[in-house]
Amino acid sequence: MATRDGALERAREHFDSGAFLEALARRIAIPTESQIPERQPELYRYLEEEMKPEFEAMDHEVRIFDNPVEGRGPVLIASRIEDSSLPTMLSYGHGDVVTSFPEEWDEGLKPYEMKIDGERVYGRGVVDNKGQHCLGMAATKAVLDERGGRLGYNSKFIIETGEEQGSHGLEPFIQSHTDLLATDIFLGIDGPRHSLKMPEVVLGSRGAAYFDLIVDLKREGGLHSGHWGGVMPDAGIILAQAISSITTPKGVILIDDWLPKSVPNSVRAAARDLVVDKMDNIPEPEDPEWGDMSLTKEEKVMTNTSVIVLAYRCGNPDNPVNSVPSYARARLQVRHVADVKREALGPALEKHFAAQGFGGIEVVETGRELFPAHREDPDNPWVRHIVKSLERTHGGRINICPGAGGSGPRGFFANHLDCVAMIIPNSYAGCGQHGPNEHGLKPLFREGIANLAGIYWDAGEPDAPGRS
Amino acid sequence: MSGTRDGAIARAHRYFDDGSFVAELSRRVAIPSVSQEPDKRPALDLYVDEEMTGSLEALGFECAKHPNPHEDSGPILVARRIEDESLPTVLTYGHGDVVRGLESGWSQGLDPWTVTRKGDRLYGRGTADNKGQHTVNLAALDAVIKERGGSLGFNVVFVLEMMEERGSRGLREFCDANRDLLAADVMIASDGPRLSPKHANMFLGSRGGFNFRLDVKLREGGHHSGHWGGVLEDPEIILSHAIASIVDRRGRILIPEWVPKQIPPLIREMLKDVEIDSGDEAPDFPEDWGEPGLSQAEKMLAWTSFIVLASQNGNPDNPVNAVSDVASAWCQLRHTSDVDAGRFEPALREHLDANGFQMVSIEADQRRRRRASRTDPANPWVGWARESMQRTVGGNVVHVAPNQSGGLPNDVFEDMGMPTLWFPHSYNGCSQHAPNEHMLASIAREGLGVMAGLFWDLAENPPKS
Repeated sequence: MATRDGALERAREHFDSGAFLEALARRIAIPTESQIPERQPELYRYLEEEMKPEFEAMDHEVRIFDNPVEGRGPVLIASRIEDSSLPTMLSYGHGDVVTSFPEEWDEGLKPYEMKIDGERVYGRGVVDNKGQHCLGMAATKAVLDERGGRLGYNSKFIIETGEEQGSHGLEPFIQSHTDLLATDIFLGIDGPRHSLKMPEVVLGSRGAAYFDLIVDLKREGGLHSGHWGGVMPDAGIILAQAISSITTPKGVILIDDWLPKSVPNSVRAAARDLVVDKMDNIPEPEDPEWGDMSLTKEEKVMTNTSVIVLAYRCGNPDNPVNSVPSYARARLQVRHVADVKREALGPALEKHFAAQGFGGIEVVETGRELFPAHREDPDNPWVRHIVKSLERTHGGRINICPGAGGSGPRGFFANHLDCVAMIIPNSYAGCGQHGPNEHGLKPLFREGIANLAGIYWDAGEPDAPGRS
Repeated sequence: MSGTRDGAIARAHRYFDDGSFVAELSRRVAIPSVSQEPDKRPALDLYVDEEMTGSLEALGFECAKHPNPHEDSGPILVARRIEDESLPTVLTYGHGDVVRGLESGWSQGLDPWTVTRKGDRLYGRGTADNKGQHTVNLAALDAVIKERGGSLGFNVVFVLEMMEERGSRGLREFCDANRDLLAADVMIASDGPRLSPKHANMFLGSRGGFNFRLDVKLREGGHHSGHWGGVLEDPEIILSHAIASIVDRRGRILIPEWVPKQIPPLIREMLKDVEIDSGDEAPDFPEDWGEPGLSQAEKMLAWTSFIVLASQNGNPDNPVNAVSDVASAWCQLRHTSDVDAGRFEPALREHLDANGFQMVSIEADQRRRRRASRTDPANPWVGWARESMQRTVGGNVVHVAPNQSGGLPNDVFEDMGMPTLWFPHSYNGCSQHAPNEHMLASIAREGLGVMAGLFWDLAENPPKS
């Protein structure tokens, strides 16, 4: 008789037999560096040769689409509809990797030749993200086999190949394929866990907005600082003043409309309860009183807005000359949680400057495609179902991360597909994901494949929450 | 002796009117004596050996070229014209070096190394800074010598440096080591701009300068802004707050020790009627920048200025998603001798500490430090020179200001114990360090007359000392 434990056992056996890493090694060998235009054929090859056959073997209908944005990588959609009355789960991964710089890797390691050294599995893409979406595929196979050729839910996968370039084209693609992608649950399989000791579900991510602040006094030529200093306005002083008005000297944001009015208690509680492993080389603020002191470090990143000055220049810093600068420019990044609307950030900043009497500050929101903020409620029935599933597989409590500090594409899916969106991470903070020596940990892979098999199994059980 | 004061002034004017001034200046401008480019070093010697030594010897000077106390630096020329040790001695000063030509930036038809007249403007590198100015003064001396039949009636020592555009490297050491050679009763020289092109002008000194860098260096390397934004301190936010604590939104300095307790009443009186006029292309002054309640002239000449010259954080050409590790601002103070410059750095440190900015470090640029200095406006030489200037220009207002706003090496001469009088022959619109540098012909001609009158009066009617 088919059982949950049987599915988990099949999943673990798939890893223990070496089949999982064998397939992964083949996939790592394809250098899918999306930041290098010449690598675009590799992106297609990855989807055509490695993804498509495996999904078809699981009776998924596979389509590969060109990216709607010229020069960006293709998108694969695999779909297996068992019954339209069943819930649908859309799993997400990306097949592209960041540029490798092989000379920076340790001796004996090559980014595109996967190597196992003790518990570590080295190679570019092992954790970001090939190894992770392959866990989802293998876990699906385990459930399918255990249930005798049936999943008990509708399965969809989307594998994009432009994530490391900011997922350009993904949002319009989703918008023009909402029927094909329609789902109840979005399950991203990506990113690092906060603790090696317990599985994790990530319920949200912050959005990011970028603003250039420009002071341009429009003076031709230089004004000698000896004569004109203290007489003619200094763009460097004006912009420093403007930036200083945004926060307290301790970095607490002073623009009320940038801050969440109220964060659900369940979200705060989840942030406070998060177990975070102590790691070497983790930077600490020198000033223990930096930022909003009513918040823990996790709350600052997961439940609040942050602002930083990514870059700033006035005058000629390489060779400062005796001249009163007429031009200064800064780029701000504002990361915000789902409780704050991104569209409100720019007007709030302009209103703030106007109220403070800074007439001459030009605010320009920079034109890059931006990931939206998103967060699910920890009390959502599907969230609780998946948390319960992970707790059952793990045999104890798990981490519920209310929001990753970084940004990601999940909000596109949540917004356009009207689904519940979550991330299951299977890597760890020390994985070196964008640098040399990227690696995964065998125990985390083995655990991850079982965790996902448990989630897929439970999605097909009668007590699943059903259509959302 | 025959001759008259008016005769001397007329000779000086004639020198301009018959084309001699432009011809002489053209010869000097044609020598590309750029001190900022090591391969132009031969031109520095050429200017001293060929051009100035010959011209000065023709006026009766004895010339001696001295090596710069610093290596790889232009020479210093000392020319002495001693008629009688018992007569008063004037020390005069000029610099023969210029900044880079920046050839490609000049308007069509202009070339930095060729004097070109267009309307009232005499274009060319060094016309304003400083070849045109010492050319005026030497020609005025020549006019007085000729008018007085060969004798000047006082002694002149001319020191010409070739490193002014490199911060007058070596000048102080040289002057300190050669006090006897350079000893004089008064220094009379010309450099920098007038306060208005319309009014003859005298400065009694120069503001000083203090450059420093503020750094907020918190850690090594950037950290992903998604994970660390709001958790790790942002150096630019701290630096902006530090700057905002030093100076308010409209440029008013907030560190009391940095500014004069008050502008001395005599200085205030001198500046009462001074209106800054920088010519047609000068920017308009905003009324609401800088210390409230001060006139433009007081802000420029009698107060302290704080300037953020440059600032940088992160990679402005290609901003990345990271909390930066370091932010820096290059800052400058310009100040009069009414403040204690020795307190600038300690007062800043105390101010930053008191405001919680212990993490902001101060890196003072000792090399480019220049002391503020000025001659006491009550010194008899000041009133004497003002009367002389006024007599030459007739009904036109003359400007007497306590000090120049920018940096003249006045402190070097003040330390030699003589009153210092500066008569600028340029104006603020002269583009002195930029392409299209020019001198105004009208100022050059008026300056020739003013200096001839001054030297005449020095011979005939020196101040009682």
